[in-house]
Amino acid sequence: MTTLLDPTPSLVEPGERPDRRAAALRATGRWAAAIGGALVIFSALLLLRGANPLEALGDMWVSTFLRGRSLAEILNVMAPITLAALAVLVPARAGLTNVGGEGQLMLGAIAAGGTALALDQQLPGPLVLVLALVAGGVAGAAWAGVAAILRLRFQVDEAVSTLLLNFIALDLLLFLIYQPWRESAAGQPTTRELADAAKMPVITGTVINVGIIVALAATVVVILVLGRTRWGFRLSVVGGNAEAARRAGMNVAGLVISALIVGGLLAGLAGAIQFTGIEYKLRAGFGLQIGYLGFLASWLARHRPLPVLLASFVLAALAIAGDSLQLDAQLPAASVNILTALILAAVLGWTTVKARRA
Amino acid sequence: MSIEAPVAPTTLPMLQVDGFSKRFGEVQANSDVRFDVHAGEVHALVGENGAGKSTLLKMVYGVYEPDEGRMLIDGEPVALGSPAAARSRGVGMVFQDLRLVPAFTVTENIALAANPGPVLRLKDLAAEIAEASARHGLAVHPNARVRHLSIGERQRVEILKVLMTGARLIILDEPTSVLAPQEVDALFAVVRQLTEAGFGIVIVTHKLGEVRAIADRVTVLRAGRTVLHGVDPDDYDDEQLIEAMVGRAVPALPAERGPVPPSDVPALELTGVSSRGDRGHEALTDISLRVQPGELVGIAGVAGSGQRELCEVALGLRPTTSGEVRIGGASVDSARDAIGAGAASVPEDPVADSVVRRLTVLEHMGLDGRRIPARGLGVDWAAVRARMTDADARLGLRIAPAKRRLSELSGGNIQRVILTRELALDSSLVVAAYPSRGLDVANARRTQEVLLERRAAGSGVLMVSEDLDELMALADRIVVMHDGHVSGEVLAADFDRQAIGRLMVGGTS
Ligand SMILES: Nc1ncnc2c1ncn2[C@@H]1O[C@H](COP(=O)(O)OP(=O)(O)OP(=O)(O)O)[C@@H](O)[C@H]1O
Ligand SMILES: [Mg+2]
Repeated sequence: MTTLLDPTPSLVEPGERPDRRAAALRATGRWAAAIGGALVIFSALLLLRGANPLEALGDMWVSTFLRGRSLAEILNVMAPITLAALAVLVPARAGLTNVGGEGQLMLGAIAAGGTALALDQQLPGPLVLVLALVAGGVAGAAWAGVAAILRLRFQVDEAVSTLLLNFIALDLLLFLIYQPWRESAAGQPTTRELADAAKMPVITGTVINVGIIVALAATVVVILVLGRTRWGFRLSVVGGNAEAARRAGMNVAGLVISALIVGGLLAGLAGAIQFTGIEYKLRAGFGLQIGYLGFLASWLARHRPLPVLLASFVLAALAIAGDSLQLDAQLPAASVNILTALILAAVLGWTTVKARRA
Repeated sequence: MSIEAPVAPTTLPMLQVDGFSKRFGEVQANSDVRFDVHAGEVHALVGENGAGKSTLLKMVYGVYEPDEGRMLIDGEPVALGSPAAARSRGVGMVFQDLRLVPAFTVTENIALAANPGPVLRLKDLAAEIAEASARHGLAVHPNARVRHLSIGERQRVEILKVLMTGARLIILDEPTSVLAPQEVDALFAVVRQLTEAGFGIVIVTHKLGEVRAIADRVTVLRAGRTVLHGVDPDDYDDEQLIEAMVGRAVPALPAERGPVPPSDVPALELTGVSSRGDRGHEALTDISLRVQPGELVGIAGVAGSGQRELCEVALGLRPTTSGEVRIGGASVDSARDAIGAGAASVPEDPVADSVVRRLTVLEHMGLDGRRIPARGLGVDWAAVRARMTDADARLGLRIAPAKRRLSELSGGNIQRVILTRELALDSSLVVAAYPSRGLDVANARRTQEVLLERRAAGSGVLMVSEDLDELMALADRIVVMHDGHVSGEVLAADFDRQAIGRLMVGGTS
């Protein structure tokens, strides 16, 4: 929405150098600098904690990429992150900033969980799974719809409303697991676990679940819809210059709503996959941060679908690496969040500087 | 025409460009261009749209790097890799499309460019600005928000900004194309004062009258090549200069045109329309206006008299506070109503209002407001392309290739894309604000012909222009606006500059 966060990859601004090769080089340099800078600061923090940064980072590398099961784990974690990233990317095409992936994802998980846990004893597993995914998508879309209505009726900026709705979604989840959906009064407040038959199946011969296939399919659909349909074309006009869209007689309000709702649908689907494929029960820390990781992935990819896959993979790998950091270097797993945050800051910082100069 | 030797320079030029070449993909924007500027002179750079003027100047200012050639400042070879480097060598540029941050004040905008170090002392800077603006005769208020400034005022801010970054060579890319005649006079007064103080000025313009009024020397580019290099404009007559620019003579407008056919339903009818401007003030007061099918009505007025709001109200883009707007008898409340009733429009600032920089020429052709041709869920681009080819053939404004992004087009070529799209429509009403803005002589003339063709085809045409000559040449009737009111109306038979001028300042004819 704002010039500071111009979500579209501006190709050639006047007053800027148009050389494509130089631009590609600068883009690569930018990534290297952002990630390198983040690694250096992170190493400094590790040193402060008395850990050997080279060893810790080396361990992270080995246990993340060179251990048998970890690639599968990365792909499993990557699936919801990718969908959450697409949930940012689609609205960004229309010039909108969806910070609500986290909440939309949670609503998706609540709806998927509610549906699946209500039906998994009566209906066949695969049917329950499909119904859960649909419910998740619908609920996420509805949650984003709230932000769309706030924007159109009351001119509330969607960056603010989607963020606030995240907190409400979290409260709703906590209420449900502490009260009506709680499995037993003793122990952790959680729902019961989903029946095995209704869980997301794995790809035969691996431990990779089908979630990643859903995510990849969604990416392909997003590429086609944005690049090939009239709706996608209209979104890019609205995102590029809303006044031009208005003067061309487009229904700008309708396009804004639909872009946000499609974003919410994708985030809701992410929540449903997280529930049926990874966590199987709703609990207090459910799906934590996936929405924000998706936000980060979309920004790192400058809101382009294919790079989103790469960015989601990297972030998923970092999340897995966080676990190994805990095991090997005896640092809290959350330490890796610092690294993630550093990368986010570096990349966003760069974007802001660029927008100012243009 | 051959390249002329420049008048033997007595002093070292401030700027000397030797054989600059620049290629963008398939377009050779500059080939072996020569150019120089001396202290204390105004050097005009002219040529048709897309000739490479902006490209040359952006290379001088370090925005683009030349593929070949070199450049000397004060006789010393320099390679300016960036605008910052250019500024540090005393080169400043005001771009064709002004780039101030609308939400910031004048001082804040200047602070962005002047790079005053780590600590912002806005108060001191404001004082410096006030001082500089008094010294150079550039009246601006340091604390005014840019959003509230007219284009002329914004341009003064840009010039001040350039002066305050220490420029001695000032490049003005088409500064006058958005200015009203009085504002042009004011700008030229500033320019004269600057040259007397020893600044070197480069000015791009499409108007020969301006070249004659302000330039000591003129350089003509055509298709990226130097056709005339640094000659004295007085040694050439208008025909010769036009020939040098566009390679041929430009025909006069057809003098004869048919009468306005009688009609019961006006193409556009405003009855007692009032409306608010962006600042919430009343921008239009009780306007009643009719444009018949087959009639071309000109709107004259001092800049900011409500012309913009009038166009927007007529197109359903701005709500009215009272009164009624009808196009072809149908009541208009929204952009869709106006489009549905057959309106076409050329906005006053196409880059801000109609252009999506990263979309292509072809994609812009799909934005004419008519139904986007469908193929399944997608766009039938072949149909859009056919429409475009047909429109281009009929209008003859020779638009850029379909796949070029608008961000890659020259200012005039952007205007031609929008003109071609809108004026090729089978419209019942054309609302055209400053249609020939930024166009070279040949394209400006062709655009005027096309407007007359729309009129002959039975469209009502409402045309806003700052150029009285243009209005008097084209219009059946000129409606004069003053401060949001219609202050009078003059018929073609009685066109009279003085009378129109009096109406523009609110007097009576
Ligand atoms: N960044 C760019 N990328 C690709 N092509 C460009 C770019 N900038 C300019 N061009 C092309 O180079 C040619 C020269 O453009 P330039 O802007 O220098 O023309 P100009 O003489 O300033 O025209 P105008 O009078 O319309 O402003 C045009 O064909 C234009 O499309
Ligand atoms: Mg230009």
